[in-house]
Parts: sequence; C-alpha cells; structure tokens
Amino acid sequence: MGISAAPRQHAVAMESLLRPPRAVPAFLVVPVRTKRRLFVPEWARELPHEEKEKRLQSLIRTLPEERMERTFYLACTASIIDPYVPPEGDARVTSLSKEGLKQRMEKLKQTAASQLALRKVKDHDPNFSTKTFPEVAQEIYVEAHNSLANFNKQKLHSLVTERCYPDMVRGNRYKTIRWSFVESLEPPRVVHVRCTSVVNQGNLYGQVTVRMHTRQTLAIYDRFGRLMYGGEKLPKDVLEYVVFERYLVNPYGTWRMHGKIVPEWAPPKDPIVKTVMIPGPTLDPSQEYEEMK
Amino acid sequence: MELSLCESGWFAAGSAFPLSCIHTSTSLQKLGKWEKKNRIVYPPQLPGEPRRPAEIYHCRREIKYSKDKMWYLAKLIKGMSIDQALAQLEFNDKKGAKIIKEVLLEAQEMAVRNHNVEFKSNLHIAESLAGKGHYTKRIRLHGKGMFGIMKIVKCHYFVKLVEGPPPLPEPRKTGFDQAKEYVQQLRSRTLVHTL
Repeated sequence: MGISAAPRQHAVAMESLLRPPRAVPAFLVVPVRTKRRLFVPEWARELPHEEKEKRLQSLIRTLPEERMERTFYLACTASIIDPYVPPEGDARVTSLSKEGLKQRMEKLKQTAASQLALRKVKDHDPNFSTKTFPEVAQEIYVEAHNSLANFNKQKLHSLVTERCYPDMVRGNRYKTIRWSFVESLEPPRVVHVRCTSVVNQGNLYGQVTVRMHTRQTLAIYDRFGRLMYGGEKLPKDVLEYVVFERYLVNPYGTWRMHGKIVPEWAPPKDPIVKTVMIPGPTLDPSQEYEEMK
Repeated sequence: MELSLCESGWFAAGSAFPLSCIHTSTSLQKLGKWEKKNRIVYPPQLPGEPRRPAEIYHCRREIKYSKDKMWYLAKLIKGMSIDQALAQLEFNDKKGAKIIKEVLLEAQEMAVRNHNVEFKSNLHIAESLAGKGHYTKRIRLHGKGMFGIMKIVKCHYFVKLVEGPPPLPEPRKTGFDQAKEYVQQLRSRTLVHTL
C-alpha cells in the first residue's frame, strides 16, 4: 500500500461525513474458503471400488488441465549439422597443377545430400542461388566482424546466431579489437548445404557452408592499450569454412553466421605476446625438482 | 476495510498467471567505487609511447576487524613488492594479516588471468587502505543493572596493485643537505625597498 497515514485519516473522516452512520455494520466479513478439491456426492460414497475408479476416470477427463507452460522460441540450432570435412591440402596446392584444377572444378553437384537440402532451401526461399549467395555471405561476414570491433551488440545479434555470439564475444568486454578486411584472395563459393528439423517435423533450419580465402588484419589490445595479439599492419591469409544458418519456416528469417569449421591440418596460430606459466608438479619440502627429472 | 474486501474478492475469482521465474534485476548488490575502477578501458597505445603499467584494484568488504587495527597492517604493506608483502603477512601474528594475505593472493590471480599481467611477481602495492564498514550496536550488560552500548565493528580493506618493481624510497635528507640549503637561503637574500 503506497498510502501514507495522514491522508488516509483524512479520507476516513471525509467518508464518515458523506455517509452518516447507520445500523449497518462498518465492514462486511466475507468468508473465503479453500478451493474445493475432490467432492464425492452422498450416493457415490459407498460404491464398490471399481465403480469409484470409473467415476474418478470420467471426472479427470472433464477437469481442466492446468499446465504451467512457458513458451520458448528456438531461433537457431545448437551445432553444425553434418560438418563439412574439407579435403586435405586445400589451398596448399597451386591451381596450375592437375590436382589444383581438380579441386577448383569440384562442384556442389557431387553430393546428393547437399542437392536435396538445396532443393528444400529453394522451396522456402525461391531467391536463393549458389552463385549469388557467397557474395552476400562475405558481406555478412565482414559486417559482423566490424560490428564486433565496434561493440555494436544489436547489429551483431542480427548478423550472427545465438550459438555463435558467445563464441565471438567471450573475453572481449574490456579489450579493444581492431579488425580490417584487406582483400579476398579467391572468390568465395558454397561448398556444403544441409537442412534439419528440430523438435518437430517440418521445423526446418538450413545451414550453408561457404569457403572463404581472404586476407585480414587483426590487433587485440588489452585493458591498458597494450598489444596482446597480432598487429595492425600485419595482413594474414586466412582460409575458412564459415557456416551460415537460416530459420527457413520463418518468412522473415535471414541468413546469419552460425560457426566456423577449422580443419585439423590448418597451420597453428601465432603465439600470444606474453609468457604464460605452466605450473609444475607439486613437491614435498624435502624434494627438489632436478631429482624428479 | 474496503481494501480487504477487494483483496478477498480478487483472490476468490482465481488468478491464472503462470509462475515464470525470470530474474529481472541485473545485479544483486550495488557495486562500490573501488570495484568499478577495474572496468575502465584505455585506448590503444601508439607505438612510440612507453608501455602503460597495469593497475589492478581489489577489495574485501565487511571484514570483522577494527579499522584502526587494520590500518597498521595496511601501512606496513604500502610500497612493498607483492612477494615481500606476502612474506611479511605470513609471519605476522595479527588476525587481519591472514585476511589481507588472502586478498593479495586473490588480486594476484585476477591480475594474471583477467588483466594481462605477464609475471605474477612483477607487481607492487601502490595503495593499501582500510576503511570503516557498517557498525551494529548491541547492549553490553554491566553490574548493578547498568548497560553500555557496544559497537560491533567491521572494516573494508582496499588494495591497488601496479605492475613493475616497487618505487625506490626517497633518500632521507642528511644534515649536510640541510646545512647547504640554509646557506643557500642566506646567500639568496637581497635588499628590498631600497635605492
């Protein structure tokens, strides 16, 4: 009650003036009883056990089912379905040799599953085409990384799925990131298409893997402005398989970045600038480390 | 009276709101100023600038100890390197020493993990303060039916660690220096308000 004491007394005084006291009591007591649960009428109380059960069953069907429901909305899947296995030696072999040519001529039409999924995607989104999509995908990729560098959360949420967002943003709250896209070394192309339904049949999500070979610069500065990783003028060649996802059944759904596939044969990343201590074995006061070796 | 009528009427009708336990508040406790100092982000340094030393702020609130007694320990540690401070506190007999040691170890961990400090021994204590916490008053019974109001005393402890070796203490002024200054003062006297 947000009513303070003084105005309340005034209100009561006013009411007593307006309504002169009568024989009617000042307040009514309305008895409030508990909710009526199982009620068995007199004629049904001494029935045999089976008939009682029959009555119970029929009553349960007529009672309203009170369910505590809370709806939730799945905007993206939790993982990459059937991840693409990139061929070994991709982008290691020059495009002039025979093997290189073979790699370049690898078309999407080889795998049947990709074709099926592609057909399903085209049913829901007739404007989709494997020839125009890679450019759109690269634009989304560049925009997403730019908004990550600027910490523009709303835009990032619209360009990146909920599964990918924490992977991108974790640990970056008090850091400054400078990222820039220099150029694309090879034109991006669609490499893998898959479609799944989650929870119900027909609740379709489409995932498309795009292969991108680009040159980028990345510099991460810590809280005090000191360089932690990379360099602003050090361009690096990056070969990535980026997965984009879209909720197909939703007519307003958009293609968003869902994750990356990093092959095992990829070259190791550069080490960070600072030295990290790896704790050694715990020793007794009498032992020394050289003896343990 | 009218309120009780309304309430009873409302509940009798039956409420159909499902219980959804969503936490609507973001933080349970109000953050103090010292904790917020860890959140400032400096812009990236230009390549020519000297490397900015990392500063880590840490504190512990509502320690069951007196602020006057804690001050002695805080003053002991100020200006030492973190290893020296930990060593001194370990062999100090006071109750606050154990607590301050825990705080320093926590701050060291935080520095290495979250604030990009390379070497955990390369820290020194720039500031170390003890502040007054919330006091609760209780009755302390004396003889002959007399009573006194007792204060249950709590304090806060604040520490700021900075990366780098501890700064050298200023050299004490010797007698010779003081004499030199005096002679300098005498020599720099001039005649004023004269022709």
